Amino acid sequence: MNQELHKKTEREDRWIPTICGECYNACSILVRVVNGVVRKIEGNPDSPIGMGRLCPKGTAGIMTMYDPNRVNAPLKRTNPEKGIGVDPRWQEITWEEALATVAEKLKKVRREDPKKLFMMGTTTTVSIQRGVSVSFATAFGTPNHSSSGGGLHCGNGAHFAAGLFHGSWSMVPDFEYCQYAIYFGSSKGHAAGHAANINAQMAADARARGMKLVVVDPLCSFAAAKSTEWVPIRPGTDGAMALAMINTLLNELGIYDAEYLQKHTNAPYLIGPDGYYVKDLDSGKPLVWDLGTGAPKCFDASDVMDYALEGVFEVQGTRCQPAFTLLREHVKSYTAEKAETISTVPAATIRRLAREFGEHSRIGSTIIMDGKKFPFRPVAAVVFRGAQGHKNSAHTCYSIELLNQIVGCSDVVGGSLGFNPVSFGHPDTGQPAFAPTPAPDGLLCPGTWLTPHRIYPPRDPAPPQTMGLKEIHPLGQSSPYVVSADQEELWTKFNLSYRPEVMLNYGANPVMTMGNPGTVIEALKKIPFIVSSNLFLNEFTDLADIVLPDTCYMERYDTLPNSPPILNHPAGMGEWGFAIGQPVVPRQYQRWDYGEFILEVADRIGITRELNAVLNMFYGLQPPYELPPDRKTTREELADLHLKFNFGAERGLQWFKEHGLIKWPKKPEEVYWRIHNKCRVPVYMEFMKRTGTKVKKILELFDVPLDLSHYEALPDWHPCPSHQVKDPQFDLYAFYYRDVLHTNSATMENAWLDEASEINPYSYNITIHPAVGKKKGIQNGDLIWVESVSGRKVRGKVNLSEGINPEGLAVAGCMGHWALGMPKAKGKGVLFNELLELDMNHADPANMNLDLCVKVKIYRDHQGRS
Amino acid sequence: MARWGMVIDLARCIGCAGCQMACKAENGTPPGITWCRVEVKDIGNFPAVRRIPLPVQCMHCREPECEKVCPTGATEKTESGIVRVDSELCMGCRACVLACPYGARYFYEEKKGYYETLSLFEELAYKRHRVGTVTKCDFCQERVERGLDQGLKPGVDREATPACVFNCMTKGRFFGDLDDPRSTVSLLVASGRAFQLLPGHPSDPQVYYLTPGTTLSAGGREDGK
Repeated sequence: MNQELHKKTEREDRWIPTICGECYNACSILVRVVNGVVRKIEGNPDSPIGMGRLCPKGTAGIMTMYDPNRVNAPLKRTNPEKGIGVDPRWQEITWEEALATVAEKLKKVRREDPKKLFMMGTTTTVSIQRGVSVSFATAFGTPNHSSSGGGLHCGNGAHFAAGLFHGSWSMVPDFEYCQYAIYFGSSKGHAAGHAANINAQMAADARARGMKLVVVDPLCSFAAAKSTEWVPIRPGTDGAMALAMINTLLNELGIYDAEYLQKHTNAPYLIGPDGYYVKDLDSGKPLVWDLGTGAPKCFDASDVMDYALEGVFEVQGTRCQPAFTLLREHVKSYTAEKAETISTVPAATIRRLAREFGEHSRIGSTIIMDGKKFPFRPVAAVVFRGAQGHKNSAHTCYSIELLNQIVGCSDVVGGSLGFNPVSFGHPDTGQPAFAPTPAPDGLLCPGTWLTPHRIYPPRDPAPPQTMGLKEIHPLGQSSPYVVSADQEELWTKFNLSYRPEVMLNYGANPVMTMGNPGTVIEALKKIPFIVSSNLFLNEFTDLADIVLPDTCYMERYDTLPNSPPILNHPAGMGEWGFAIGQPVVPRQYQRWDYGEFILEVADRIGITRELNAVLNMFYGLQPPYELPPDRKTTREELADLHLKFNFGAERGLQWFKEHGLIKWPKKPEEVYWRIHNKCRVPVYMEFMKRTGTKVKKILELFDVPLDLSHYEALPDWHPCPSHQVKDPQFDLYAFYYRDVLHTNSATMENAWLDEASEINPYSYNITIHPAVGKKKGIQNGDLIWVESVSGRKVRGKVNLSEGINPEGLAVAGCMGHWALGMPKAKGKGVLFNELLELDMNHADPANMNLDLCVKVKIYRDHQGRS
Repeated sequence: MARWGMVIDLARCIGCAGCQMACKAENGTPPGITWCRVEVKDIGNFPAVRRIPLPVQCMHCREPECEKVCPTGATEKTESGIVRVDSELCMGCRACVLACPYGARYFYEEKKGYYETLSLFEELAYKRHRVGTVTKCDFCQERVERGLDQGLKPGVDREATPACVFNCMTKGRFFGDLDDPRSTVSLLVASGRAFQLLPGHPSDPQVYYLTPGTTLSAGGREDGK
C-alpha cells in the first residue's frame, strides 16, 4: 500500500445515522464526518422517514451547524433596559453561574406559586420540547407551557378536526390510491408541513399516476402550482364553499355513504328540540332509532337492524330527529349562489367540484388488500393552515372535514388518512401500540396525542388560572393570550392570582412568530426573569436575562422523535420507522443540550423525583425500564430505557446508535383501521354546544360576553374581522403562507437557504396581482408599504404575479428579522405578523386560533424602487 | 462509452431547491456559485395560470458555445458527454460565462465564505475549487466515475448518481446514458414530453425537461373547462 493511500484510509471518513432537526419532521439522515467535521448530510435510504431523500432545509443543515454566529457560551445581560434595538450588553458567564442563578429564581417562584413559571418551546424540534420540557413543567407544578407560533403557525383548528375525526394530529390523502383530492389552504406534499419530505415523494407519484388535485387557495401556492385545478378563493371563506358543496351533495345530488354514516358517525344519534342528544334514561347513552324494530335503542346496542338517518320520531315524550336530518336541513341555507357571494368562487364551479368529489368517491366499492376486503373511497378533502388560520377556524375545519365523512372516505383505502393513529406495535414487543377508543357517548378519543389532553371528551370549562386562559377554551391547543395585547385586562377580569415571574424558553422566537412584535414584546417585558436556550441571539433573546448556548441536532441525543407517529411519520402503507438522534461530532465550546440543562436544574431545585415520575408517565415507561425515582438521569439513560421498553432489551441506545432506526412493515388493518374500530365521529358536534353553554356560564361570572355562534353543534360560516372592513381604501386581503424553503422563523439564518430564497420571487417579496399594481402605479420590484386598518404597517418589495386572487396580498412565513445575531436573516423578507392584531377580538372564541388575514391598503414607499 | 444526460420532470418538480442544496453540499461550492439553481416562472393569466419551477444548470451541450470561445482549451467536451473545466488550464477570462446561453457558469473570484471567516465545513469543502477560474456543474463526474469503478450503474445506483438526482424529493430527476436506447433517460427523451431549453438553439443540450403538464388550471372558471 503506498503512503498516500495509507493516509487516506487512516483518516476518519464515515457516515453516521441520525435525525434531522431543521423542522419537526425529524427525517432520518446520514451524516458524513471527515476528521471530526460534518462534510455532508444525505437522506438515509434505509428509513421510511425520508427514504434517502431530503428537503432543502435538511441538506442545508450543515450551514446551521457551522454558522459562526451561534451562541457558544452562557450569557447574562448587564443592561437592565429591554426593548427593540436596546443592546442587552451580554457578558459571558460560566455554566455554574447560569445554573445557580436559574435554580435560585426557580426555587423562589416554586415556593410562592409554581404557576409563576412560564415555559415555552419551539415547534421546530418538537420532540425535545414535548419530552423533557413539558415534563419539567408538570413536575414543577405549572400549567403554563406553550409552543411558540401558538397563535399563528400552529393549527388549533386543523389539529382539532384531525384529532376528532382521524385520531391524529393531521391528515393527508392516501396518496397511493386516492384519485381526487381537494385541498383547502393546504400544501401537504408540496412544501413544508407534516411529513413534508415523504409526502412530496408520494404526492409526486400520485400526480404521475393521474390523481386529480383541486387546490382552493387565494395564492397559486406550491400545491396549486402542481394541481389539476386552482380555485383562487377569497381568504377566510373556505368554510362557506365547503358547506355549499355539502349542500350540493346531500340535497341536490343525494350522494352520501349511508352505511358509513350509520356505523361510524353520530349521524343516527337522536337530537331533541333543545339540540342535545336524547339519551337512554338508565345508561345515559345517546339513542338511535332502529327502523328494523321501530324502536329507540342505545347507539351501541348490538341488535340495531337499521339505523334511521332521516325522519321525525317520538322518544320519551319528545319529538326528536337523527343528527343527519338536522345537518341536511341546516346546510340547505348554504346554496352555491350564497357561497359564491361570500367566497368569489362561481356557484357552477362549487356544484361541479361537489359532483366530481361525490362521483369519484365510488360509494359502495371495495378493494382487496392483503387478502382482506376494505372500503375503497378514493377521494379526500384536506384542510390545513391557510383555511384554518382564521377567526372561524373551528367551524371551517369542521365543515371541510364533513366532506370526508359524508362520502365515507375517512381512513379507508384511497381516502383521507390521519397520520398513523393505529399501531399494533413491533412484532417482537407489541410496542408502541395504540388505537382510538370510544368515549362513553361512542365518539372517538385519540389513542395517542401530542399534548396531555387528548381533545375528546373536552375538558370541563373552569374559571381560568392559566396565562393562556385554556380553561375557557377547552377545544383549543395553543393560546395567543400568553402574549396578547389584552392579556392584562383579561387576567384582571378573571382574577388570575399571579403574574409570570420566570420564563424558560427552549429555542422559540415568539417575538417573530406569535403576532405583531410590539404587542409580544410588551407582554414579555413584564416577565422579570427570562432564560432562553438558543442557537442564535435573536429578537427574543434581546428580552432575555440569561441566554444558554443550545446544541444543534447533530450534537445531541433525541429519543424516537417520530413517536407518536401522528405528526411526522408518513401515512399510508409502507413501513413503520422509528429513529434516534445522536451526536455525530463532539460538542464544541460550552454548548449544552437543553434537555440536559433541564435535568440538571430539576436536580438543583430538588424535583428530580417528581420529574422522573412524570418522565416515566410521559414515555409510558414500565419496569424494568423505569427511570430511578431519586437519581438525576441523563438523556442517554432516558433514551436507552425508552428504546428497550419499546423494542426489547437487546435494542437499547447502543443498538440504535449503530443502526440508526428500527423498521417493520405496516399492516393494512393499521392504516385502514376505520372499519375495524368501534369509534364514531361527530357529524353533529353536540359537545360543542354543551361546552359553549358551560363556557358562557363561567364567563358570565366575570362579566365577559361570549358569542355562542362558534359553539353551535352544526357547521356555519362566520365572517372574519377582515370581511367586515368597509373602508374602500383598504381593498386587499393580506395573508401569509409557508415558504417551501423555510421552517417558521428558525431557518432564516441559514446561508444556503438564504441564497435560494434570493432566487425565488416567492420567498422574500410581497406578491400582488399585476392589475392591482397597474391601478396603483406599482411595478415589479417597487418598495411598498402595507398598512392595516389599525395603522400597523410593514414594508417590502413587490412581486407582481398572475398567480394570486386580485383581492389578495401574500407574504411568506416569519421573515424580516432585525437581530444583529442573525446577519444572514437580518433585513430579508417581510414580517407579515407586524400587521396582526393579537387579542380576543381576533381569535376564534372556540379554539383560540388567531386570525391571520388582514384588510390592508398599499402605497409606494417614498424611496421608490429598492 | 456512455453519453451522459439528464432529464428533469417539471410535472414532478415542486421547486423546493432540494437539488440546489444537494449540489452545494456534494460539490462544496462557495457563496454565489450555484451550479444548480431553481428559478420560478409564472405562465398564463389569472385565473388560468401555472407556476413553473425551473431548475437550471449546465446543459452539457453537444455543441457547447463555451467550448468554442475558450482560448486555453480548459473547457472540454469529454467522450462521455460531460462538459468539464480544467481549472489548471482556465485563465479566468470569462468568455465562456458570457457565451453560455443558460447562465450556468460562475467565476470564482476570491476565496471567501458565507461569513466573515471560513467555517470548519467551508475549510474542508472549498479545497477543490481554484480561485480565479470558471466553475460549473460537472454532472458530479467524480462521483459517477468512482461509482463506475466500483461496478455501479449511474442513474440507478445512488453511489454512482449525481447528488441532485438521487436526492430529489419528488423523484423528478433522471440520469443515464443517452446512447443506450433502453435507459430511463432515453425513454423519457423519446416520450413526447421532453424538450430542451431555448428550442432550436444549436447548442443541443443534454439536459432535457419534461413538460409540466398540458392542462392549465381552470381557476374556477366554468367557461374554461
